[in-house]
Amino acid sequence: MGLEQETEMTREETDALLSRHETGVLSLASDDDPYAIPISYGYDADERQFYMRLVSTPDSKKREFLSGSPTVRLVVYEEAGRTYRSVVVSGVLHPIARDEITPEHVEQYGDAKRPLFEIWGDARKDLDIQLYVLRPETISGRRIELELDQ
Amino acid sequence: MSASEEYVFVCPDCEESMEVNPSMRDALVANGCVVCGAPVSIDAFTRVESSADP
Ligand SMILES: [Zn+2]
Repeated sequence: MGLEQETEMTREETDALLSRHETGVLSLASDDDPYAIPISYGYDADERQFYMRLVSTPDSKKREFLSGSPTVRLVVYEEAGRTYRSVVVSGVLHPIARDEITPEHVEQYGDAKRPLFEIWGDARKDLDIQLYVLRPETISGRRIELELDQ
Repeated sequence: MSASEEYVFVCPDCEESMEVNPSMRDALVANGCVVCGAPVSIDAFTRVESSADP
């Protein structure tokens, strides 16, 4: 029943979790309004940065929340048997302008999955796909092990 | 062989278009479209003659 043990994960364990997953929940805010969306990402464990493609339509609410370089949180978690792991990242989401795209970006986005959760209909020309890099200020990973004999 | 070899890339899937140099072209062919993630072949590139800028 009880939470038996909560442990802070090492950098290696945290990076391994972020690398084996490719989706998470991104939270944005504007004044008192929260906005959370499921997203796909690619993680560069060397630079500890996240690469994302976010889709919005010209008058979508999402675009409002994404304007500028917003402060965000990203949550990635997993449940494996009796072990629960979660990582909370906070940092700033920087848009990458089309003319700033380098071959290195292309490589990073090659590892990022297509926007799995995003609407990907026929009217692609109406969709704005913007590239972002999330530069974390903090990355904190926790592991909880449940006791065996319950 | 000019030093500034340029291509126009048009993604067959999302129709994004951008001017790229050879190293960008190679990266796009190897990794797919940076914008939408679709696979990209060499056919997506057209060589452009550099304009007569000084
Ligand atoms: Zn594309």
